[in-house]
Amino acid sequence: MAKTFRIAIVGGGIGGLTLAVALRQRGMEADVYEQAQELAEIGAAVALSANSTRELRRLGMGDALATVSTEPGELIYRNWRDGSRIAAHPVRENMNYQQICGAPYYGIHRADLQRILSGALGGAGLHLDHRLTEIRDLGGAAGLSFANGRTIEADLVVGADGVRSVVRRFITGGDDTVYSGTSAFRGIVPVDKLPALPDPGAIQFWMGPDAHLLHYAIGGNADYVNFFAVVEYPKVWPHAEKWLDSIEPGEAAAAFAGWHPAVVEMVAQHLPVRWGLFGTRPLLNWYRGAVVILGDAAHAMLPHHGQGANTTIEDAITLAELLPGTALDGLGPMLAKYQSLRRARTRKIQRSSWITNSLLHLPDGPQLAERDQRVTRFPEDFGWIHQFDALQTAHDATHTQRHPAPPHA
Amino acid sequence: MQQTEIETAFAELVENITGTQPARIDRDLHLDKLGLDSLSKIDLAVAAEDRFGIAIPDEDLERFVVVGDLLDYVHRTTA
Repeated sequence: MAKTFRIAIVGGGIGGLTLAVALRQRGMEADVYEQAQELAEIGAAVALSANSTRELRRLGMGDALATVSTEPGELIYRNWRDGSRIAAHPVRENMNYQQICGAPYYGIHRADLQRILSGALGGAGLHLDHRLTEIRDLGGAAGLSFANGRTIEADLVVGADGVRSVVRRFITGGDDTVYSGTSAFRGIVPVDKLPALPDPGAIQFWMGPDAHLLHYAIGGNADYVNFFAVVEYPKVWPHAEKWLDSIEPGEAAAAFAGWHPAVVEMVAQHLPVRWGLFGTRPLLNWYRGAVVILGDAAHAMLPHHGQGANTTIEDAITLAELLPGTALDGLGPMLAKYQSLRRARTRKIQRSSWITNSLLHLPDGPQLAERDQRVTRFPEDFGWIHQFDALQTAHDATHTQRHPAPPHA
Repeated sequence: MQQTEIETAFAELVENITGTQPARIDRDLHLDKLGLDSLSKIDLAVAAEDRFGIAIPDEDLERFVVVGDLLDYVHRTTA
């Protein structure tokens, strides 16, 4: 590839940074344009599953991640009221998850993940305070204008700019976000503030009528619990542009009145906002000309499989693996290949996350028997999500059978 | 696009995803008889989108029961 190949990544979140780091590992430089004045992740915490931790390890971040992450002991499903264990699957225990999936499962502060990613980049090519306002098709290249007055040109623009992506709007011409009719209260609580919580080191789903609460421990010492409590309202989201809505004190606690004391302890924390849960409708096209999207910009999903960040990392690795060796005039076929490698998988996870929401929110009654069977089978049914190897898949799509192993494995 | 052209192309897609012989596929065959569940139906939908250049939204996909439902949708949308 010619040295003059200019790559502009819009968005300095998990996807944009991962792509920049993965490109650098392959000897390519990219510029990252982030709208914020400093890198500060919203959303508090994230669960990384094997499909992304295997890639972050290949990028040389394995030790750094392990130091600041918690590996859950088990994945447990519980009854909302009495807390009884409906199903439990070992994760760290006997290295069960790693044995099956080939890499660990981690709970981590988003800020820690971002620090590790941006540390790997060393600040190279990172441009803060660059909010994208316009993209122009320059025929074979694209022009970007930013709110700070700067304009640039690039041979390839990658929109890693999230569910409200400006870049996506350039590609599809519309607003493709869909409000789910569900919203969430979320917070991080020191584990010693949760005396009623059984198995605080596990990742646990508390399932009840029209609501559920998910939590997992984060940090190098598992001393904080990140929770995410989902309810089936409001039916219509009250804001056009915002996905945060301020709530009255006690509103979250009221929504979970009568639940197990461990759940009540979590939602009794000071929770000033409700998060609207949005996705994007499945898109036919992920690129237009020299402009392409990844992550939430391409396939925002409900969080019920915990796969938003993980599939974003898969996208970034796929693109990074396909790009080297691509000539300027070969960009179209390369982007078509990227899209064809990613579209079906991410759409299936999007769809499955949507279906899982209803499964987690069933009313007490006869349907619970089937639900209980399904959560008992979750590791078998959803192994395809966690066992996926994005690098190998992209490698296989670009190389003959003579080179079965990916070069960065 | 011609109905027969769609049927031939569609049978190829189904064969790629499920291994079902094209000769076994007809309009009245239930999609679940092809071994397609709600997720592998998405593989078929995405393959059909790429092949025919149309969008098949989830909500339409959920309504398709037999092969003919999908064929008619493609025929209508590509017309």
